[in-house]
Amino acid sequence: MTDVTMNFHPQPVSGSPKPWAFPAPERGGLGNGLTVLRCHRPGQQVVAVEICLDMPLDVEPDGLDGIATVMVDALSEGTGQRTAEEFAAELERCGATLDADTDYLGARVSLEVPASRLARALELLAEALHTPAFSGSEIGRLVRNRLDEIPLELANPGRRAAKQLSQELFPASARMSRPRKGTEDTVARIDAAGVRALYRAHVRPATATAVIVGDLTGVDLDAVLAGTLGGWAGDAAEPLPTPPVTADDCARVVIVDRPGAVQTQLLIGRIGPDRHDPAWPALVLGTYCLGGTLTSRLDRVLREEKGYTYGVRAFEQVLRSPDPHAANGATGASVLAISGSVDTASTGPALDDLRTVLRTLAAEGLTEAERDTAVQNLVGVAPLKYERAASVAGTLADQVEQHLADDYQAQLYVRLTETDTAEATAAVISGFQEKRLVTILVGDAAQIKAPVEALGIGGVEVVAG
Amino acid sequence: MGHAATQQAGSGGLTATEHRLDNGLRLVLSEDHLTPVAAVCLWYDVGSRQEVEGHTGLAHLFEHLMFQGSAQVKGNGHFELVQGAGGSLNGSTSFERTNYYETMPAHQLELALWLEADRMGSLLAALDEESMENQRDVVKNERRQRYDNVPYGTAFERMTALAYPEGHPYHHTPIGSMADLDAVTLDDARAFFRANYAPNNAVLAVVGDIDPEQTLRWVEKYFGSIPSHDGKVPPRDGTLPDVIGAELRVEIQEEVPARALMAGYRMPRDGTRECDAAEVALTVLGDGMSSRLYNRLVRRDRTAISAGFGLLRLAGAPSLGWLDVKASGDAGIPQIGAAVDEELARLGAQAPAAEEMERAQALLERGWLDQLSTAAGRADALCRYAVLFGDPQLAFTAIDRVLDISAEEVRAIAAARLRPDNRAVLVYDQVTSEEPADPAAGPAGAAGENDKPEGTGR
Repeated sequence: MTDVTMNFHPQPVSGSPKPWAFPAPERGGLGNGLTVLRCHRPGQQVVAVEICLDMPLDVEPDGLDGIATVMVDALSEGTGQRTAEEFAAELERCGATLDADTDYLGARVSLEVPASRLARALELLAEALHTPAFSGSEIGRLVRNRLDEIPLELANPGRRAAKQLSQELFPASARMSRPRKGTEDTVARIDAAGVRALYRAHVRPATATAVIVGDLTGVDLDAVLAGTLGGWAGDAAEPLPTPPVTADDCARVVIVDRPGAVQTQLLIGRIGPDRHDPAWPALVLGTYCLGGTLTSRLDRVLREEKGYTYGVRAFEQVLRSPDPHAANGATGASVLAISGSVDTASTGPALDDLRTVLRTLAAEGLTEAERDTAVQNLVGVAPLKYERAASVAGTLADQVEQHLADDYQAQLYVRLTETDTAEATAAVISGFQEKRLVTILVGDAAQIKAPVEALGIGGVEVVAG
Repeated sequence: MGHAATQQAGSGGLTATEHRLDNGLRLVLSEDHLTPVAAVCLWYDVGSRQEVEGHTGLAHLFEHLMFQGSAQVKGNGHFELVQGAGGSLNGSTSFERTNYYETMPAHQLELALWLEADRMGSLLAALDEESMENQRDVVKNERRQRYDNVPYGTAFERMTALAYPEGHPYHHTPIGSMADLDAVTLDDARAFFRANYAPNNAVLAVVGDIDPEQTLRWVEKYFGSIPSHDGKVPPRDGTLPDVIGAELRVEIQEEVPARALMAGYRMPRDGTRECDAAEVALTVLGDGMSSRLYNRLVRRDRTAISAGFGLLRLAGAPSLGWLDVKASGDAGIPQIGAAVDEELARLGAQAPAAEEMERAQALLERGWLDQLSTAAGRADALCRYAVLFGDPQLAFTAIDRVLDISAEEVRAIAAARLRPDNRAVLVYDQVTSEEPADPAAGPAGAAGENDKPEGTGR
């Protein structure tokens, strides 16, 4: 066969890297107490604005899980000046999108808009934050919508697995054991009076931060802010307490039964530290080597050798990150996890191989070459990862929410390059200990229970799907 | 138009130059130095529309094989080298093209060009049974994960099977059927490569922080000696009448979390002014939180959880206007369907108000600005217009054409196309878990198949 007829050349040597650093925001504040982080990114015509509200889900009243979600969604469903329809149309005439989200760490309102219409969109955002209508009719609609969405979300095997893992890891009394957006029982109890009370208690400029990133050429941001978010008024507030975290991550298996499922969704996780932990860069590095990409240890076997899966990933997700200088000394928490789906018949063999990968890692550690490739990727992709204004704004807002310094991400890149193989090995082995991993399987129990039991991971419980 | 958010709404000040190598490879270069990133994007003019009965899924499976090594690149070396250089990469397959892309730190650009050239010129030197069998299993698991094991996952596949007749090149989707994936052989893959993966059947775009002259020299060096080849089988003609002529309808009994009404309307081909008018019309009707259908179904009638209308632009066949409504609570599909019909008829009868046009066109412009915000997005747009329409420069004026559409053109296209006799309808009804789900349920997917799941976390 003469298919190879081209002239071959040796693999090229790279040129010299061009300097790039994670952007340093300029920190300031407005007279109403709102903290402002701004960052000029030339060429980014779509400006990203993140409003971080100091409202972790712990603040939701007992039995009303999901009320924070309804409240932030309702901010844009009508204001003192405009009905919900009018507000949405006005915003979209700017080419803007406005999203809201809540998490155990805090709440976020995210605006993206072409730079030329930033001023108008910020007027609307300020209106939403300052004079939300919270009409009974709109709150009722959002509650019904939310009730409709819950079964849609839980039908997704990945979402269902995440719900089960939280429930297994954390005690029922802890907010983080329960779904961020509530359950059918709790959402059904939400009304406009409760939403208004939550807003009055926790939404104010003094405990909020605005992150603004994009091409700000020709934008007099101070003047724009003064005329928009500067008019948002509110009182001062005491810092919120941070409840302690406890978790049960003794090895065991829970099968969420989905008769007839053609795949099993795996979610294997435990509790970990937050980004303040000195070993965080080592953990990031080690986790990448374990399951950051399809050439990492897990996919090298599960995907590229065995074909059991489209892809399995290991990751860390911060759930709580208090200020380490705060008086009560509360600790942070994350979930460390491995996630993916495998065809039903391969469930037992895939779990077995997965455990072999973890054991081999624990026995032999990472190689120097693995560590080097991981550093080159994690540090090297930064200019790509942060091309868009929204990516930069998202990371800056994460830093605010997690009580990290404004240069945290920039320093993380430095610390990754300084982390050696032994440190990365120690962090990933300690993070992903077999006896501390709770295994959630969303799949067909009749087919997967016996092969999974045979692996002897720990108790195997089957719950309804 | 008065609605543009920027002075140069279309190009954002960008330009591109075009080159053609002796072997027929077309090259598009676009330089900007805002961030030290270079995007490489390679479109091959082959997609699932070239597949014939019994061989569905071949183009996409082949795309996976392109990551399994070539003469100078061992095994997973393509992924390892790009990621080790701080780059990101992937590939995807749609009806009309297969693309491969790397975004690199600017100083690693040459590596990406070397890698793409190596597999374009020498893939078959490395392709073997082992990688074929492995990737066959991976793709079958991709199909299970993205289509067969999620609610409504097979909707897109069912829709194209209904909207494009038996034997039509767009009747099946890129993911293919399990049976066909099982049947494909190594010889099929080799023949597919020889027919379609030639420099004269591809467009390469390099965008971002580049030196155009140096880049051209590298492209000549690495790609220049790859022989051109004319073995390509042209795609079958995708022409269909403008209007289907009678409603096509399938009722699906499946265990889904909410009833759903989906419809595919036959729309004008991409590249025509009517297609741009259709996109504005569908945006007025079904994009965003204040579209006509959202306001009607979600806000006022409160019969739906979500209501959206989007356009799948196709150049080689009629485009598809895709309506997707998920019912709220006990709301019935007939009630929702009647409201949709009223709204479509209303748009066909009267041109939308200036404020609605402004809203729709601002959202469409915003989508374009989002695409321009990354080097990879710009590179993909240039390849798209070069491959499908023969002129990459059309990318820079595409949004201007959309902003030039008048309210009357929107009304006219709605009247002509958004009619009950021009749609394929899927109705999802709920069954309880005691009843058997439709055993004939097959898989389906989105318009494109990504090769690798990237990213994790929240």
